[in-house]
Amino acid sequence: MANSEESYETTDIKQFASTSFTISKRLLGIFLLIIGTGSFFGILAIDIFDVGRQGGIGPSQQAALALTLIVALIGLTLIPLGDKPA
Amino acid sequence: MRASRVAWPYNGLMFVASIVLLFSLGVAIAYAVNLITFPFDYDQGEGFELVDTILFSQFQWPYQNTDSYPFYSSNYPPLFHILPAPFVWIFGPSYAYGRLLSFIATLLTAVVISYAVYRDTHQRWIALLSGLAYISSNFVYHNAPLFRQHLTMVLLETIAIVVLAQAFQKRENKLIALGLGLLIAAGYTKQLAAISAVAVLVWMFLRNPRRAVLWGAAFVAVGVAIFVVLTVATSGEWWRQTIIANVNAFNPFQMFGLALLWLRLHALLLIPAVLYTLYELYFSRLSLYAVWFGITAILGGIAAGTWGAGDSYYTSAIAAMCIVSGRVFGQVGNSPRLRQSAAKAVVVLIIPMAYLGYGVSTLKLPTEGPIFGPIASALSIEPNVMGRHFDSATYDVLGYANIGHFTTREDVRNGYRIVDLIQNADGPVISEDAAFSIVAGKDVITNPTQLRNLYLAGVWEGAELLKMIENDQFALIILRASFFPTPVLEAIQENYSPTKVITMNGFDYVFWSPANK
Repeated sequence: MANSEESYETTDIKQFASTSFTISKRLLGIFLLIIGTGSFFGILAIDIFDVGRQGGIGPSQQAALALTLIVALIGLTLIPLGDKPA
Repeated sequence: MRASRVAWPYNGLMFVASIVLLFSLGVAIAYAVNLITFPFDYDQGEGFELVDTILFSQFQWPYQNTDSYPFYSSNYPPLFHILPAPFVWIFGPSYAYGRLLSFIATLLTAVVISYAVYRDTHQRWIALLSGLAYISSNFVYHNAPLFRQHLTMVLLETIAIVVLAQAFQKRENKLIALGLGLLIAAGYTKQLAAISAVAVLVWMFLRNPRRAVLWGAAFVAVGVAIFVVLTVATSGEWWRQTIIANVNAFNPFQMFGLALLWLRLHALLLIPAVLYTLYELYFSRLSLYAVWFGITAILGGIAAGTWGAGDSYYTSAIAAMCIVSGRVFGQVGNSPRLRQSAAKAVVVLIIPMAYLGYGVSTLKLPTEGPIFGPIASALSIEPNVMGRHFDSATYDVLGYANIGHFTTREDVRNGYRIVDLIQNADGPVISEDAAFSIVAGKDVITNPTQLRNLYLAGVWEGAELLKMIENDQFALIILRASFFPTPVLEAIQENYSPTKVITMNGFDYVFWSPANK
């Protein structure tokens, strides 16, 4: 049930800079999808650009890649939830 | 719930869970009393926190130039060390009040956790068990009564989170300012509070980006202003000692080991906390508690893998876990639909069984002594630590602090043997643990881990210290873990010889004397 505070909140992106705007589940999903995929390729790029490094993708990188994929997946599944406040 | 058919099994199991968690509290109090009366270093580096307090009581900064005598500096923020400084004026240098302060902070954190759960659920019993669960965690228990700043930081963070969780949504500006001020205080107690600050700013941004940016700008401005004042007042040493010298190597095996241990010990409260966080994410609104839990678990868990870090880096996430799991249990108990359904029977079992199982999985106690000896014997608990203590976590995980056992009279006697040797030494003495020099009334010379950090960061000179070692100017050098920079250890090995070993609290203190004397 929405309380009095939530009753005047909006997730309309046009009112992003207003004091009544709140992030929607869709917008949060998009943020997380961008952060997750961006970080995933960023971590992979460490190996591409750091050509002198030995050992390939180590345990820390593997864990970080898994984490970024989870973040991206959560983001993807939040997008269909639409304008509900996050 | 009281009027239902399942009240008796629920109450019975809750009673047993309460007994188990209250027993954990009893062990924690006994451990605290044991340490508060112990006059020497218990955990590595504890003594240097006392040195910081002594310096503050003399109105001196602990952020000093390590290239000149006494080569001492600290990499910890000031707040925790300032708080007990007045006690130095009254009682003189002692570990007692810093340890007492930290333990009281731990108890207060449990009270704040209970309050947060009660405020949202009005379930007194669950709120009580949520607070007790915090103290029962192995990670919290063995850090609670140390002269260390970590758990005071968690107290300040927890109060800040509980205040902000309501104040931001209700637009109560004074309380928002108070909450953010407490977060700054936590950050100047220990730098790790930055993770909780990230959680707060993220959550505020989710709720309202405009207000989050405005409050966040004020928050950052105050934090940075204090930082600049400290840097200027210490001629740049604050920056060098607490920031440059605070970047340590990362060990993935330590991170994974601690993460697995954390999951194993806390699973029964972690699972409901994670499920409730996912519920809020997909079906409700994310609370500040859930965001705090998620971010401190992930970032704190990663940070725990750095050199010098350890299990204490999970304590903020454990406080958050206790609040989130308490809220879900309390709200499930309050659910009118569940009151009338067959699922109630499952709930009746799950809530108290989770606390009971958690209490058992985090069990630790001495296995000897007039009180705990018979209890351990009755429960058929065998010691797995130092032959006199049981810890369900054991000491086998890299980064898990090898502490939690009680000290003995023999430890005190051996500590004073070390003090006697220092007092009878003809000249200055370097001791890797500061307490012996403090008790002996000698200068505390250097802080080994700080020298090491500066050396690895490439900002340590050390010529004067090396020259004094090479000229045999130290009557004794006492090593325990050899945390000094490599050049210092090499100079000691070339110019000094090991002459004596005294074991105290399970650690060997090796006495090195000048080889040519």
